[in-house]
Amino acid sequence: MKKKFIYISTAFLLIIGTACQKKLDINPTSSIDQQNALNTSSGVLTALNGAYFDVGNAWFYGGDIGLFADLLGDAGELRWNGTYQQMTQMYNKAIPKNSSFVASQWLQGYKAINDVNNVLSALSVVDATAKDRVEGEAKFIRGSVYFDLVRMYAKAWNDGNPANNPGVPLVLTPTTGITDANKVTRNKVSEVYDQVIKDLTDAEAKLPATNGFYATKYAAAAMLARVYLQKGDYTNAVQAANRVITSGKYTLTSTFAGAFPASASAQVPNTSEDVFAIQVTTTQLSNDYYTFYSPSSRGDIDIKPAHLALYETGDARKAFFTTSGGSVYTLKHNSRYANVRVIRLAEMYLIRAESNFRLVTTVGDTPLNDINKIRTRSGLPALTSAGLDLNKILMERKLELAFEGQTLHDIKRLQGNVGLLPWNSPKLIFPIPERETIANANLVQNEGY
Amino acid sequence: MTKLKLLMVALLCTSQFLWAQNQSTGRVVDAKTGTPLPGVTVTVKNRNINTLTNADGSFSINAPGKSTLIFSYVGYLPVESAPGNALGISLTPGENALSEIVVVGYGTRLRKDITGSVARVSAKELANTPVTSFENAIQGRAAGVLVEQQGGKLGQGIKVRIRGSASVSAGNEPFYVVDGIPVVTTNLSSNGAPTSPLADINPNDIESIEILKDASAAAIYGSRGSNGVVLITTKKGKAGKTKIDFGYYTGNQKPTRMPEFMNAQEYVTYMRQAAVGAGKQDFKAGGYATLQAAIDAENSFLESRLLRYSAGNTDYQTYKVSTDWQSMAFQDAPMSQYDLNLSGGNDKTTFYIGGQYLDQAGIILRNSLKRYTGRVNVENKVNDWLSVGINMSFARSLNKRISNDNQFSTPLQIVALSPITPAIDPRTGFTSGALDLATGLPNTNYPVYYNPMLSYEAGLYNTTVNRTLGNVFGNVSITRGLSFRTELGMDQLNQNEESYNGRLTRRNSGATFGTGFNAGDQILNINTNNYFRYNTHFREVHSLEATAGMSYQNYKLQSNSVSGRDFPSDDFKKLQSAATNTAYSSSETQYSFLGYFARANYKYSEKYLLALSGRYDASSRFGQNNRWGFFPAASVGWIVTEENFLSHVNWLSFLKLKASWGLTGNAEIGNFASRGLFSGDASYGGNPGTRPSQIPNPDLKWETTASTDAGVEIGVVKNRISLEVDYYTRKTKDLLLNVEVPGTSGFSTQLRNVGNLENKGIEFTLNTNNIVGKKFKWSSSMNFAANKNKITNLGGQQIGTLNVAKEGEALGVFYSKEFAGADPANGDALYYKNTLVNGKRDRTTTNDYNLAENVVIGDPNPDFIYGFRNNFSYMGLELDVLLQGVYGNEVFAGGGQYMSASGSNGFDNQTRDQLAAWKNPGDITMVPEARLFYANGVNNSSRYIYDASYLRVKAVTLSYTLPASLTSRLKISSAKFYLRGQNLFTFTKYPLWDPEVNADYSATNIVQGRDFYSVPQAKTIVIGVNISL
Repeated sequence: MKKKFIYISTAFLLIIGTACQKKLDINPTSSIDQQNALNTSSGVLTALNGAYFDVGNAWFYGGDIGLFADLLGDAGELRWNGTYQQMTQMYNKAIPKNSSFVASQWLQGYKAINDVNNVLSALSVVDATAKDRVEGEAKFIRGSVYFDLVRMYAKAWNDGNPANNPGVPLVLTPTTGITDANKVTRNKVSEVYDQVIKDLTDAEAKLPATNGFYATKYAAAAMLARVYLQKGDYTNAVQAANRVITSGKYTLTSTFAGAFPASASAQVPNTSEDVFAIQVTTTQLSNDYYTFYSPSSRGDIDIKPAHLALYETGDARKAFFTTSGGSVYTLKHNSRYANVRVIRLAEMYLIRAESNFRLVTTVGDTPLNDINKIRTRSGLPALTSAGLDLNKILMERKLELAFEGQTLHDIKRLQGNVGLLPWNSPKLIFPIPERETIANANLVQNEGY
Repeated sequence: MTKLKLLMVALLCTSQFLWAQNQSTGRVVDAKTGTPLPGVTVTVKNRNINTLTNADGSFSINAPGKSTLIFSYVGYLPVESAPGNALGISLTPGENALSEIVVVGYGTRLRKDITGSVARVSAKELANTPVTSFENAIQGRAAGVLVEQQGGKLGQGIKVRIRGSASVSAGNEPFYVVDGIPVVTTNLSSNGAPTSPLADINPNDIESIEILKDASAAAIYGSRGSNGVVLITTKKGKAGKTKIDFGYYTGNQKPTRMPEFMNAQEYVTYMRQAAVGAGKQDFKAGGYATLQAAIDAENSFLESRLLRYSAGNTDYQTYKVSTDWQSMAFQDAPMSQYDLNLSGGNDKTTFYIGGQYLDQAGIILRNSLKRYTGRVNVENKVNDWLSVGINMSFARSLNKRISNDNQFSTPLQIVALSPITPAIDPRTGFTSGALDLATGLPNTNYPVYYNPMLSYEAGLYNTTVNRTLGNVFGNVSITRGLSFRTELGMDQLNQNEESYNGRLTRRNSGATFGTGFNAGDQILNINTNNYFRYNTHFREVHSLEATAGMSYQNYKLQSNSVSGRDFPSDDFKKLQSAATNTAYSSSETQYSFLGYFARANYKYSEKYLLALSGRYDASSRFGQNNRWGFFPAASVGWIVTEENFLSHVNWLSFLKLKASWGLTGNAEIGNFASRGLFSGDASYGGNPGTRPSQIPNPDLKWETTASTDAGVEIGVVKNRISLEVDYYTRKTKDLLLNVEVPGTSGFSTQLRNVGNLENKGIEFTLNTNNIVGKKFKWSSSMNFAANKNKITNLGGQQIGTLNVAKEGEALGVFYSKEFAGADPANGDALYYKNTLVNGKRDRTTTNDYNLAENVVIGDPNPDFIYGFRNNFSYMGLELDVLLQGVYGNEVFAGGGQYMSASGSNGFDNQTRDQLAAWKNPGDITMVPEARLFYANGVNNSSRYIYDASYLRVKAVTLSYTLPASLTSRLKISSAKFYLRGQNLFTFTKYPLWDPEVNADYSATNIVQGRDFYSVPQAKTIVIGVNISL
């Protein structure tokens, strides 16, 4: 009797133990193992879509790439009133190297790069019909991200010799584990630009002319135009911009306000002049320009009279501001679910006009016509050729693209000043995030940090 | 049946032992009241013979002639007696530390025989503490147990550290077990302010809390034991007349401390000073022809803003309105608790039925908690070999919560509002910020920030929890000394969070027509324990107890949430009415643990003690390669006073030396941490998307802590003075570490087994019965613990900013720039460079923050913690005073970067100490020049580090128990009235709110000791009554 009890209890205990052992194998339900993620064509396609999600994150094209540049490049035209110390530091041009925002932007950029490197590593399984498109989109993202990283974290192209200045590390293969090989060094500025141009050129060649709201052939060309302009390579810039304009895929909206449609509660589709925009839906991604510029949101950035004084009378863009509680705010970013505009067609006209003007060419059209296209849309009288000079073109560019993240990079390109700081001041360059220099001793810190 | 049992026992004994057997009989009564005591355990010392007293207190037991009988009963001092006939035994209520029964994992031990380190807090100490969760009630009562509540929000996360932090990236909280079953401690809060599921447990249901501190005690829990184990035992019924207890208390709570902010006059003067400071900087930066032009521009900007924040009128110029915003963040906070318990039973069945209702308002606006709990514990002896039982509790709570500390809507961020802003906007007659007459909507830039009062008026965040926690068990006596126990436990937790932010909250929520949120979480935690217990005595001097069995736990969490916006009106608060869906999610996660364990306790001649234990444990959290781990422990003890050579030393009543060693593990990491993963959370533009989310680490395994403990327990003068001293080391290796990897990889961290850390410390507990008079009694209990935590190896890593994990330092030390005050020449914030030059720190200063080196500027870990309790009683009067404190830790007051910030953040109201800001060349001050919107010394630095040591009068209870003569006339068995104060006084140098703080939104293992608009602790006074029928 007693023995039976012992046998029964022991058996009971062992049976439960054995049964439970199987329960030790548990699989996640909202993730999959990496070795199963990119085995199929559809797996690669969804990973590509995920890369857009990462590059469209608020820390990157979701707004901060432009927003931080606006704060860093401002000298008296806007006022930062916000509580984020990290942004106050940018506005004050006194960034500590441990700034968490500077680190987050860097991390987000490289996250997107790893996403597309994964996609590029698995092209062989992609259906033949989609293969070129997938490669093109991935390279568009990679080229664009490297371009913006090198602009924020390294010396400008025209600051000394770009072949000697440290740029950002070029990582072109996916990360599947961490070894010492991941402690990369900074490539030179020129090497980064070369990679950017290579990726974007490849992308332009492989992408289709239409591709919904995803990157197209012309999105790649437009980004190339921007890259060439930044390098002062007007010959290539004018050609690339011209390819976008002459594609006939995009038209300027009839009014300036029409380029920035607003809705308080629903997503707004791209406009006819959006060449590439991050899609913000009510449930995915957010628009950080809206977060900080809009009085309906935090309203942390208001516009000073010095900026408002730059517009001519009758300029529709001058009217595109709103006053709330005595402060003036731009209406460009007044819609919570607006797509984040990365490139608009208007910029292509401005690049073509400036480049043609400098080169004394008329690729596509005359600079005068291009500039007048932008002016008349905003209700301004057309200029005459006698009234057109480089300063007029640059002012038109400044006003048209204000608060869209261009100011800092234009000042560097044109070798101007930010207040008393010269264009090449180390204070106008982000530090390499301190967490990076700690995690990777091979990274050299920027001058001045 | 009883007779049959006795007969069996008798027969067994007869067959087992050759010496003569005697039938001992008698009756056990309460020494005070003379009432019979049923259910008293009668044991023959050093034999496996025992019985229980019957309903009339009588017993009958077969005992050898030369043996000793021991009578023990919970809550009474045990009595020894020689066998005999018609013995009259009376038991005195009270507890003798040495003979108390201590719950250990899968069993119990006599305190005297314990070789590990176990702290015990009993019901008497816990009872009626006016707090939400029991962890608060043990603060200061157990040596080496650090309890820190993040702040004064109700049901909030509480940090408990037993002998320091053993891990950097894995969990550091102890393992909680209720009646043998591991319980859910998952924070399920969706708003960034953690909540603790332990708050669902009614502290008055708890009979005792045992804290297993060293490895020899905790290793039976193997992979879960590294952070110590907290065993909670709930109350059980006792055979006898059914006892009915009623308890009630009611009272009020207030914040412990409040700092001072500027009034309107100080504010306006200070801001004008800041505008001049900013003008000087503007001029330096260029763009102005003269200094005066720059200052004029800043001044006109300032006056326009002051006008705005003064509700558009010039009252600010005369300081007519001076709003004390801080006081508006707090509310009147009554608190009441009702208890009703019934317990009793007979020799077959015992039961405890308890119910409680807690109705508590938080000290902070909008915060309140209502909790209903019920418990049924029943045990039945089916026959002489089988007993079965159930311990079951349910709880329902409704916690009306507020935002985390980092939100504009959290009430205490109200202190940022300008004192010149009126509480009620005179232009509208509504709360400031509620209505902009120009738009008909809430204001977007008046007051300076979103007014948290609007969230009070139009927002809600309600968390409802339904919890069922319990187990069923069966106990089979197989043969004398051998039994088998099976337990099946279940912890089921369902939580619903519902939030609505109405139209008034537009500036904060970003939605004109309201936002709503709803989340549901469902946890099912199943556990089974099946084990043998065996105890035997042989050849008179050998005593052996052994336990062996298995344990399995499976935990599954299913969650879903949905958010929406745009509601027809604020009357509609459910998402059915939302026009737009803004977020949705559902997820599931799961883990399981399987373990086999064994333990043997051997005692020789009541002098020499040896305990061995081991557990072989597996978890789903680890990869196939490293799934199983083995956790052994050993300990020895020597009760020296049992030796003959000490028998004549009368003053020394007890001396025990003990030592232990053991390995414990830590597996508190993500459920799928070893895998390389792509997550499916990356849809874009309406199409699904995936992205890499985790780098694989197939070699991931347990983190292991090797602990040693050496201790001595001394009792002198008949144990009137008893001292327990322990020295321990805990060395953790293969730390589960979120290693920072180069971000260029696309990842920022990888979980690896890297590094070592150690905790070393000393603890002592001194209990004294200072005066033991007939009428007046005074006893004291003091505990003290000093722990030194040090990270010895992190593979060259440094993790975190400000609070860091760094080699050679304690976990979470503040590592940043050392602030040097204002430059006397120009008011710039200065920092010590602290660069190493020839092995010495360069003590010159710089105004360039980036040129200063990071150094250790503070430590959030206290050097030592202590508690000191004194109990005085005179007749029915009793006064109990508990002092509690921590010493040597620092807090970083992150809110200072806004509220003590030289106007750097613009128009935030400032703490009054900022009035000492630099004004003129030559001024020597620690407060840099005020400069509107210019960051002048507000980066992380020692400027915001403060000593957070404190000594608290933690609990004072004055009670009066009615004399028996009166209660018997009233036909009740007892009645007690009391007045109790919790956190009555706090002595500290900390300048802001309460020094016991950790900002809820940022709290992690590493990020400790932060204050960010955090709600201070509550000071509570209640009056109460306990009546027993």
